[in-house]
Amino acid sequence: MNDQMVIDKARESLKDKVMELTNPAPRRLFLKVRVEDLLTAVSWLKEEMGFTHLATISGVDLGQSFELLYHFANNFTCLTIRTEIPRDNPHLPSICELIPGAILYERELQDMFGIVVDGIPDPRPLVLPDDWPAGNFPLRKDWKYERPPEVIPGGKK
Amino acid sequence: MKFQIPIGPQHPALKEPISLRMVVEGEIIRDADLRLGYNHRGLEKLAEQKTWIQNIYLAERICGICSHSHTTCYVQGVEKLMELEPPKRGLYIRTLVAELERIHSHLLWLGVAGHEAGFDSFFMYTWRDREIVMDILEIISGNRVHYGINTIGGVRRDLDELQVKRILDSLDILRKRSEYYQHLGTNEPSFVARLAGVGYLSREDAIALCAVGPTLRASGVPMDVRKDDPYAVYDEVPFEVCTADTCDVLGRAVVRIKELFQCYNIIEFLLKNLPSGPIAVKAPRRAKPNEVVSRYEAPRGENIHYIKSNGTDKPERLKVRAPTLANYAATIKMLKNGFIADVPLIFAAIDPCICCAERAVAIVDARSGQEKVVPIVTLKQLSQKISSNNAKKREVAWPL
Repeated sequence: MNDQMVIDKARESLKDKVMELTNPAPRRLFLKVRVEDLLTAVSWLKEEMGFTHLATISGVDLGQSFELLYHFANNFTCLTIRTEIPRDNPHLPSICELIPGAILYERELQDMFGIVVDGIPDPRPLVLPDDWPAGNFPLRKDWKYERPPEVIPGGKK
Repeated sequence: MKFQIPIGPQHPALKEPISLRMVVEGEIIRDADLRLGYNHRGLEKLAEQKTWIQNIYLAERICGICSHSHTTCYVQGVEKLMELEPPKRGLYIRTLVAELERIHSHLLWLGVAGHEAGFDSFFMYTWRDREIVMDILEIISGNRVHYGINTIGGVRRDLDELQVKRILDSLDILRKRSEYYQHLGTNEPSFVARLAGVGYLSREDAIALCAVGPTLRASGVPMDVRKDDPYAVYDEVPFEVCTADTCDVLGRAVVRIKELFQCYNIIEFLLKNLPSGPIAVKAPRRAKPNEVVSRYEAPRGENIHYIKSNGTDKPERLKVRAPTLANYAATIKMLKNGFIADVPLIFAAIDPCICCAERAVAIVDARSGQEKVVPIVTLKQLSQKISSNNAKKREVAWPL
C-alpha cells in the first residue's frame, strides 16, 4: 500500500464525499470531509483500509470555525481526516463506537475548545480541574490567561 | 461488597502524580477510572506565544526522560515547514542521541519493573549501568537530562574521534551487562512468575484502544514509527522491530530488553558510518503558512506533533500528544479484573510519564468514612483557618 493507492481508493469509495485530498509529503495524506460524512470516512478508513490506529485529534481555532484533524496511521502511511465545524454551534459526532481509543482525545477537545461531542460515552472533564470556571476554553484564540492578584493572608505589613 | 479506593494524585506507590479511582471487590479490581489534569501546564497555549527557537526548549521540558523525543519531533516538523534540509552528519548525531536516550529510558524502566516486582538488586544493577549512558550523553551534549542538542536545521554540538571511541568502549560494557539482564529477566523463576500473566492486554484490545510503543508491541503488533514512517536516518539503519506475544508485563519487559540490543547495534552502525561535513544549516526566523504532522518513536511509543504556521515567527498551533496519554485507555483495560497488588506493576509497565490527574483533593472524614471532593481553594481556606489559631505561638520567646 502506498499513498497513491489510498488516494485512488478514497476517490473510488467515498466519491463526492471527498472535499479535498492532498499529499504534501511522502506518507502524509490530508483528506477533507464534511462533518456529516465524518463517521462514514472513519469507518471506511478502519474497515476497508486498515487504518486502526488513531494517533490523536488536533483542534485548531480558525476564528469563525473550528478545524478538527483526526490523525490516523497504519504500517505504511499516515492519513489525516480534516473537518470543520462552525464556532457558534460546535457539535461533533463521537467516533468512540468505531475507535474506542478516541475517548481521551474527545474529552480533551471538549475541555479545551468547548466543542460538544455528541454521543461520547464519558463526557466528564479530563484535563481541567473541577473548579475551573464554566465557559472558559483555554485553546480558543480569544481566551487570555490573567494571573489572579496575589493575596497575602493577613495582609501586607 | 464493593469499595472505591482512591490512589493518588500523590501516593507513595506511584512515582509521579496520577489519580486513580478503583472499585474493588475483595482483592480484585472491578472497575478503574483515571483522572488527569493534576500536572497540566497549559503548554500548547504557551507555545503559541513563543518563537520557533524558544519552543525547542519548551518542548524539551515536556518530559525529563524523553526530552530529546519531543524536541526532535518538533524540530523535524519545523524543518519541513521552513523547507530546510539538515545535513547528514547532523541527522546522524540526532539519531545517536535518540538511541542513547532510548537505552537510558529502557534501563530505567527495567529498574522500576524490578523494584515494583520486589527485585531490588535488579533495580540497583540496571540503574548503575544507566549511569554509563548518562555519562555518554554528558560527553556528547554537556548535559545529563535536557541535552539541548537539537536546533532547527541540525544539531548544536559535533562529535570528535575521542568521543566516538569512548562511546564504543562503553557500549561493549553495556552490551555485556544487558546480556546478563536478559538471562536474569527471562530465567529467574520468581521474577518471571511475578510478571507473567499480569496486566493482560489482548492484541485486539491493544489495537482498538490505540495503544503505542512497547505496550502495543508486547501484544504482538509490529508497529514502530521508525520502520513504518522512517524519519531522520532510520531508512538507512538496519534494525528489527521487537515484539512479544505474551500480552502481559513479562512481554513488555522482553520487548524492552530486545530493543536494548537493537539500540546497541544502531549506535554502532551510526558511529562507524558517521559522515563528515557540517552539522547544521542556518534557519530562517519565519515559516510560511503551512501545516505538518511529525511523528517520532519515543522510548514509550509514538509521539506526534501537529504544527501549523501562519507566516510569523511564532506557531499558530502546536499540538503535542505524548505516548503515555495514548496508553491510558489500555491501562484501564489492563487493571480491570487484576489484583490490587498488581497496580504499581501494571502502571509501571506502560512506563508512565505523567502530566496528569486533577487539581482537587478527596477528603475522607476519618470518623464517618464519608468522602467528599473539595476544590483546592476550599482546602487553602481550611488550612488558613487552622493555622490562624497558631498565631499566639509565634509570640512565644525562643527558648535559647
